[in-house]
Amino acid sequence: MSKVVFCEDDPMIRKLIQTALRSTTHDVPVADDGKEGLALIEQVRPDVVFSDVAMPKMDGFELAEAMRARPDLAHIPIVFMTASVQRQQIDECFRHGAAGHLAKPFTMAELRARIAQFSKN
Amino acid sequence: MRKLPRSLRLYVAASTLYAALIFFAVQFIYTIELAQSGIVIARRDNGDVLSSIQLVSFIVWLGISLIAAVVLHRLATALAGAKSAEAEAKTAGAQKDLELGSIFGLSSALAGPLDLEQIGAFFVAAIRGALPLDMTIALIVYDDVLEAFRTVAADGPLAADLKDRSYSAVALPSIVRVRVIDHRQSLVISDTSADQPMWAKVSEEMPAFAGARSFAALPLVSRERLVGSLLLLGAHAGDLTPDKAQMPVIMGQYVAGSIHSALSVKEAEARAERETLVNRIAQRARGSLDPDEILRGTVDELAKVLGVSRAVVAVGDEEATLEVLYEWVAEGAPSVGTGPRELPVSRLAARMGRTLVATDVRSDGRFSEPKIAAALAHLGVIAIAATPVRVGGRLAGSLALVHTDRPREWTADDVRLIESVGRELRGAIAAAEAFEQQRQAVKELERLNRAKSDFVSIVSHEFRTPLTGIQGFSEMMQSEDLTLDEMREYAGDINKDAHRLNRMITEMLDLDKMESGRMEIHREPVDLNAIVTEAADRVRPNAPNHPLALRLDPMVGAVSGDRDKLTQVMTNLLSNAVKYSPDGGDIVVSTRVEGSSVHIVVRDHGMGIPKAALETIFERYGRVESLATRNIQGTGLGLPIVRQIVQLHGGAVWVESAVGEGSVFHVTLPRGAAASAEVAEVAS
Repeated sequence: MSKVVFCEDDPMIRKLIQTALRSTTHDVPVADDGKEGLALIEQVRPDVVFSDVAMPKMDGFELAEAMRARPDLAHIPIVFMTASVQRQQIDECFRHGAAGHLAKPFTMAELRARIAQFSKN
Repeated sequence: MRKLPRSLRLYVAASTLYAALIFFAVQFIYTIELAQSGIVIARRDNGDVLSSIQLVSFIVWLGISLIAAVVLHRLATALAGAKSAEAEAKTAGAQKDLELGSIFGLSSALAGPLDLEQIGAFFVAAIRGALPLDMTIALIVYDDVLEAFRTVAADGPLAADLKDRSYSAVALPSIVRVRVIDHRQSLVISDTSADQPMWAKVSEEMPAFAGARSFAALPLVSRERLVGSLLLLGAHAGDLTPDKAQMPVIMGQYVAGSIHSALSVKEAEARAERETLVNRIAQRARGSLDPDEILRGTVDELAKVLGVSRAVVAVGDEEATLEVLYEWVAEGAPSVGTGPRELPVSRLAARMGRTLVATDVRSDGRFSEPKIAAALAHLGVIAIAATPVRVGGRLAGSLALVHTDRPREWTADDVRLIESVGRELRGAIAAAEAFEQQRQAVKELERLNRAKSDFVSIVSHEFRTPLTGIQGFSEMMQSEDLTLDEMREYAGDINKDAHRLNRMITEMLDLDKMESGRMEIHREPVDLNAIVTEAADRVRPNAPNHPLALRLDPMVGAVSGDRDKLTQVMTNLLSNAVKYSPDGGDIVVSTRVEGSSVHIVVRDHGMGIPKAALETIFERYGRVESLATRNIQGTGLGLPIVRQIVQLHGGAVWVESAVGEGSVFHVTLPRGAAASAEVAEVAS
């Protein structure tokens, strides 16, 4: 069973993710922002983190930095979900250490495939 | 008794002696002859007859001798007179020959093309021989380029004071100036001591003349032009008389022609040189549109040609606000740098609208005011020439050339050159202005372009968020087995996101309409307090950390306005207050009546707004982009919409804020908005 942590500030997308993954056996904690996300990551120790970039308090890039600063969390891959389709903004995600990029709006199949890609089992 | 001439006495004495000798000789011979012949007569006569004959012959002889003496004397006198006349004639001829020789020698010496110094040397050499050695000669020439007289040659005991001197026309003694320069008449004073006060005045005006006992100043005129003057300073009274001045006058006429030619050549050369320079400068000025390049090509060239320490080009519409645009500095000279500077001389030139020159500002009364003197001393200015530069009749700037090393007598040629370069600078300054405007325009366009692309990315981001929900939930409804309740729930979610998307699109379109003046407002009496309350109720559920307090003045009552639009104003302001105070904090909304308007205040304790953005946040896409706001979603349209709506109602909106302390938004709306709107319509 793969463990995933989501960080997303938009309530509707949060609900969508939780609903979409509800039927699977995945454990899907979803944080409102980066700060809450970091706490969840420490607690859950997920295989992969899916994070929005624009969030209050701590954004996705800051979250990635905070994780890298922690030796015990640095190895966890992070996938950014952004509404950007512009090349440079996607590139910026990778510059901030993204393991992957998921463009909004995404299909449920895309989401599941990405989770599967980073799952350990 | 009148004394007889010596020669006559001699003749008389000689004649008497001769007559006496003849008498005694005759008597002796006669006596012997009588004795020998024994003539009867002698016996009978007993000597009386003999004595009478002797006496008569003596008297006759004496008479003849005296007449001969007188004749001889006359002859001798005549002869001597003739001899001396001949000698005299001989001497006069030699003098005449000398003078003629001088003149011919001079005229042939002056035949070729010569410079003024050569002419002067030939002239002095030629005239020297014809004048007493103790007479001082000076040839002064009016130099059009210098606009002053200049000694080109001088010789004689008083020459030292006159050599290598130049003097403006006004510096010459007034009598010389009026008589010789203005009226072109010869001035000859044969005895300077005859009119002591006059000569004292001349000596005072021109100390070099003081030693002259007789004086002549002769105008040198060629083809109607006064080219200079010949000055003669005699060591003795009477050395110079109108007669004696004739020869110098004639020689002066010869030399005047040569001087004229030499001056013309010199002037033509100077003019050609100046024209070449101006052309070169003009070419550079027109060959480029880059003001920097124009300035480098013109000002540097001019500064080097004039050999100044510094050249400064300032720009400004007013004399008081001259800003240094460009500066050229000679090696080792002090720099003033670019930017606003105190430029007193350029300023004065700008005010007077003409070129201003100063030989030495330190001793110039025009710049003796302590403040100006201090400013000039600070800039190190000694000599300066400044000319205003006008573009299309109005002041655009100034060009100043400065000596920080020494005083300088600016010539008319320098001034003309500076003025022509100043005229060429019009182009550069106009180009610089246009360049600056262009740069501003480009900058503005770049800013707008950036704002627009930022906006596009924001909008696309904002639009994609609700789209994600719509797409995701609809996909699930399509592909998964769901209960009817689940179906309904997801359909509701889709609906919410669709509304959200619609709101965003509407906002954009509304603003577009308002900005282009196509937005209509539907006026009706609206209870403002009710609108504030409704907006607060709408925002509250999304703001659990923001205690929202309303302090409403019951006197506010109804205003005439568009209910929906005013609700939008309040909603936008309140949701901003929540959005931009991410750490929570009190939000207070108050209303109160102020005269004929209603004043609404929304106060938050959020992150605040930088001073520079207090106005721009009301512009389209003018959202503050910073680390702090990166996480806050917004279209950058909320406040522009607020301002548009408030202005359509005849009101005003503004903000007071300090970063980190929160913001206070003020909205005023006229209570009689309907009436004033009607008035506005009639007025328009």
